[in-house]
Amino acid sequence: MSIHIEGVNKRFGDFVAVDNVNLAIKTGELTALLGPSGSGKTTLLRIIAGLEHADSGVVRFNSEDITGQHVSERGVGFVFQHYALFKHMTVFENVAYGLTVKPKKLRPSKAEIAKKVHKLLELVQLDWTADRYPSQLSGGQRQRIALARALAVEPKVLLLDEPFGALDAKVRAELRRWLRRLHDEIHVTSVFVTHDQEEALEVADRIVVMNKGRIEQDGTPEQVYDNPANPFVYEFLGNVNLFHARVKASGETKFTSASDDSAQQGDEQDGLAYVRAHEIEVLTSAEPDALPVTLDLITMVGPTARLEVLNQQDGKLVHIELPKEQFKALNLKSGDAAWIKPKYSQVFLGEGI
Amino acid sequence: MTTSNTLPLISAAAVQDTPRATAEPRWVKWTLVGIALTFLTLFLILPLAVVLYGAFEAGMQVWWQAVTEPDALAAIRLTLFVLLIVVPLNAVFGVAIAWAIAKFEFRGKTILISIIDMPFAISPVVVGLIFVILLGSQGWFGPFLAEHDVRIIFAVPGIVIVILFGTLPFVARELIPLMQQQGKEEEEASLTLGASGWKTFWYVTLPNIKWGLIYGVVLCNARAMGEFGAVAIVSGRIRGETNTMPLHIEVLYNEYMFTAAFAVSSLLTGLALVTIVLKSWIEWKDERKQTSSTAR
Repeated sequence: MSIHIEGVNKRFGDFVAVDNVNLAIKTGELTALLGPSGSGKTTLLRIIAGLEHADSGVVRFNSEDITGQHVSERGVGFVFQHYALFKHMTVFENVAYGLTVKPKKLRPSKAEIAKKVHKLLELVQLDWTADRYPSQLSGGQRQRIALARALAVEPKVLLLDEPFGALDAKVRAELRRWLRRLHDEIHVTSVFVTHDQEEALEVADRIVVMNKGRIEQDGTPEQVYDNPANPFVYEFLGNVNLFHARVKASGETKFTSASDDSAQQGDEQDGLAYVRAHEIEVLTSAEPDALPVTLDLITMVGPTARLEVLNQQDGKLVHIELPKEQFKALNLKSGDAAWIKPKYSQVFLGEGI
Repeated sequence: MTTSNTLPLISAAAVQDTPRATAEPRWVKWTLVGIALTFLTLFLILPLAVVLYGAFEAGMQVWWQAVTEPDALAAIRLTLFVLLIVVPLNAVFGVAIAWAIAKFEFRGKTILISIIDMPFAISPVVVGLIFVILLGSQGWFGPFLAEHDVRIIFAVPGIVIVILFGTLPFVARELIPLMQQQGKEEEEASLTLGASGWKTFWYVTLPNIKWGLIYGVVLCNARAMGEFGAVAIVSGRIRGETNTMPLHIEVLYNEYMFTAAFAVSSLLTGLALVTIVLKSWIEWKDERKQTSSTAR
C-alpha cells in the first residue's frame, strides 16, 4: 500500500506544524521521518494515521482518498513511543484486542484469534509472556508487544512514533536491528518517526528530513548522508564544523577566516564549508592549505578520540574525531599547536554570510 | 514464580538497610504516630462509639422499634430512593465532565473546572434557597410548574435536585486528574486497532478509571445520604413524606427522643461503613485477581 501526501497543512493556533508537505511513500518501503522536535514529523505521522486532521490537503492510500476517513476505518497499525499498551489486559488480550473488537460478522472465532495471537507473539519472540500484564515486562518487551498488537489487524501501513525513544541505548540498538529484520520479513509499508539520525541511517530504506514543518531532503540514507541538500541536513546528520570558504569558478576551495576582509578576486564567491568531525586530518607540521590550531580539550570515548581545537585564524572551536590509535601516534597533548586539513567538505555559497 | 520469589528477598534486604541511613530519630516517629492515633480516636472513633452506645443503650428492642416506626421507615425508603437516582446520574455526569475536560481542548475549560467546584463552595442552605427561588410557588418558574401540575419544592423532586447539585463534584473531581494523567494514548491505540468510540470507552477508558470512579461514587453516596442543609430548605419536612434520614434524626432530636435519634443515626453510620467496606473488598478482590495471574 503506497501513501501519498498532497499539500498537507496543519496549524496549532499560531504554530505551523506541517507546512504544505508533499510526499509519496512506496509500497513495502521502510521510511524514516527524521527531524528535531517541533519539526512536524509526529504531526505528519498522526495525520497519516487519522489521529489528527489536516487543515488542508489530501492523504491517499494507493489511489484512494482517505482524508475524511475515521482512524478506526483506515486499517493502520500505530506504535506509540510510550507503548500505550492496555494496562488492565494481559499481553494476550492486548494483542487480541484488534480482533476481538471487530463486529461479529467479521470477527474470527476464538480459536483462530488464539492461534493468530500466539503466532504474532512468536514473531516478536515473546510467546512466554502471554498471560502477563504489561507492567511485568521491560520497556523493550512492551514495545515488541505493542508492535505485535498493531500487526494483529493486518494493517495496510505500519506507523511508528519514536518507537525506541523511551528505551535505553543498548536495547534501542538491539530493537532497531530487529525491526529492520522484521520489516524484511513482512514487508508492510512502514513509516517511523525519529530524531535520532543514527537510527534513521541504520534502519530506513529512505529518509525524509524535516524541519519547521517542511521537508528538507528526501532520499536513501546514503544520498542524505553523502550529499546533504542544504546546511540544515548537514548539521542535523552528524557532528559538523563550519568554515568560511572562498570558491573559485573552477571549483577550487580555499578556507578563510571570517575576519579575512581581503577583496574577492574576480570569479571567487564566499560560502560556508561544512566539514564533518571525522573528515578532518590532524597534522603535526604545517602543510599548504592546512589551518593552524591549538589543541584545547581531548576526550577519549571508547575507541574514538574527540578533540576540541581552537582555530587560530578566528578563534572558533573545531570538533574533530579520529581513531584513538591514530591520535596516540601523533603524540599531541592539550595546549600543543597543530594543523588541520579538511579531507572532504561541502560548500554552500552565500549561506549565512 | 521466579519474580515473586526473588522480589521480596531484595526488598527485605533494602528495607533493613535504608532506615539507618535515612530514618528520622525514633521519638519523631512515635510522636507522629501518637498524634495521628490521638486525633483519630478523638474525632473518629470516639464519636462513632458514642453513636453506637447511644443507639443500643436502651437495648435491641428499643432500637428496633425506633428504626421500624413508620416515619423512620419512610425516611429510610426516601433516602435510598434518592440515592438510587442521584448516584448513577452523578456517576454519568462526572465521567462526561471529566472526559470533556481531560481529553479535549476548548474555550472556557478553566471556567468549567471552577464551576464544578461551586457546590462545594456554596453553603448548602444557600443552595436550597436558590432552588426555592427558582422553582418554588413564588419563584421564577413557579407559575409555569403550577400550571402543569408539577410539584418540585416541598416534594421529592426538589430533594433529588438539591442533592444532585450538592454531590455533583465528587465523581468529576476524582476523575479529572486521573484522566488527565492517563492521557489519551490508550484510547488512540484502541481507535487505530479498529474499535469504535463506544467500544474504546467500554473496554479501555472505563477499566482504567474504574477505581477512581468507584471511589468518587462512594464519596458521592456518603454525602448524598447525609446531605442536610439544602434538603431541610426544599423538603418542607413533611413527616413520613419528605423527611430524609438526616432530617428525621433532627426531628427526633428536637423532640428529645435521643435514643431514637441515635438509633437512626447508627443506621446512617452503618450504611456509610458498608459503602467503605464494599469499596475495600472490591479493591482487594481485584488486586488478588491481578497477582494470582502473575504467579504462574
